[in-house]
Amino acid sequence: KDKSAASKDSTPEGAAKRQEDGAETPKQQLLDIIGNMKVEVSYRKKLQQLKASESKKQARNKLEGLDSESSVPRGVTEGTQRLNPELVKAASAVASSLPRNKKQTESELLAQLRRHEETTDKQKKGGTINIRNVISEMTVKRQSPEQWGARISGRISLQLDEDGQRARPERSSAQMDSRRSLKVGKRLNIFTKTSTEPEHALKTVSSPTIWDLEFAKQVAAVTAQPPRNGFEEMIQWTKEGILWEFPIDNEVGMEDDAEFHEHIFLDKHLEGFPKEGPIRHFMELVICGLSKNPYLSVKQKVEHIEWFQKYFEEKKELLQEI
Amino acid sequence: MAAAALCWALRAAGQVLPSSCPRQVRSYYVDWRMLRDVKRRKMAYEYADERLRINAIRKNSILPKELQEVADKEIAALPRDSCPVRIRNRCVLTSRPRGVKRRWRLSRIVFRHFADHAQMSGVQRAMW
Repeated sequence: KDKSAASKDSTPEGAAKRQEDGAETPKQQLLDIIGNMKVEVSYRKKLQQLKASESKKQARNKLEGLDSESSVPRGVTEGTQRLNPELVKAASAVASSLPRNKKQTESELLAQLRRHEETTDKQKKGGTINIRNVISEMTVKRQSPEQWGARISGRISLQLDEDGQRARPERSSAQMDSRRSLKVGKRLNIFTKTSTEPEHALKTVSSPTIWDLEFAKQVAAVTAQPPRNGFEEMIQWTKEGILWEFPIDNEVGMEDDAEFHEHIFLDKHLEGFPKEGPIRHFMELVICGLSKNPYLSVKQKVEHIEWFQKYFEEKKELLQEI
Repeated sequence: MAAAALCWALRAAGQVLPSSCPRQVRSYYVDWRMLRDVKRRKMAYEYADERLRINAIRKNSILPKELQEVADKEIAALPRDSCPVRIRNRCVLTSRPRGVKRRWRLSRIVFRHFADHAQMSGVQRAMW
């Protein structure tokens, strides 16, 4: 971790130096140097990574070496199950090597190790907000001075080269940025997920107050400019409903979703009527006429029949006298 | 009829068109007779279905005559302005009851006026 911090301090300084050199020399050399800068920084990062991995390996090897040296396993190691047994043995070896009270130093070291383990566990679970992670994400921004240089070089190259070439370096740099920022996906746990959908749903239902409507009307009235020409006038008329929409649709108001059989076979609505007699005869004629009517919707036809049903029920007494 | 309906709607709602729009708006009917005609048209529209159904019972050879007599009385009991016979096709602009061409809903004088000023689409002075 210290090594990476130190490298962070060194690389911006190095970048600044290189930039000064680049500004002095002519364009071609500047482009080359900026190109080289990019390569160098990336190589440096790779070196850092290699070094880190090597250091880890070396530490492991050292611990293993220590383990092989100390043959006596301590009782303490069995108690501390969380800690890495290698680390524990390494701590005991270090304590033995120091001149002071061995047991005290060993216990202190083990306590430190335990604390480290706790923090690493927490980090693994994602409980704590590690600022180091946040800052590690900011390594992306280190690239910006180089990328500004690249963009400037891209603009300069525009004047020299054709338009086709201009798109490429910008696109590649943008892609690089997106790749770095989106797919480096360590969760920082800074924000908590809040489900805001039900709140939004409730808000939309209760929100259209009279004041909102008035405000909307005012805004519409203010922004409505008088039509500049006949076309705009016709558009306005169409919006208001004065002018029809062309090509004229004959079925604008009608939305009849019913199938043809619902229009024609209306016998099922005749259940409320007596099965014989003049009324039945009359209603059958009514249904025959309705089935041939293309202008009414099914709803209207059903209402028609129901009206007759009601009417005849009211006149039942009269009919029974007959 | 459309223009009359529009005017009726304006009077009823009391709408004010946006001030930026410089359109001529007819906010009154030409005269009271036109207003009465508009009222009759509205009522006829409302009672059209009922009238049709009661008439279907009346003009019938199947149903018993007593029923038809009852239907006669019922239809006579409906408001007088609901019958379509009372509607007069007046001129839309001048409310003239006579000399109105149905296609344009205008009286002959108005029609001639507009046609001579070339404000009637597709209308030309006849010459043959």
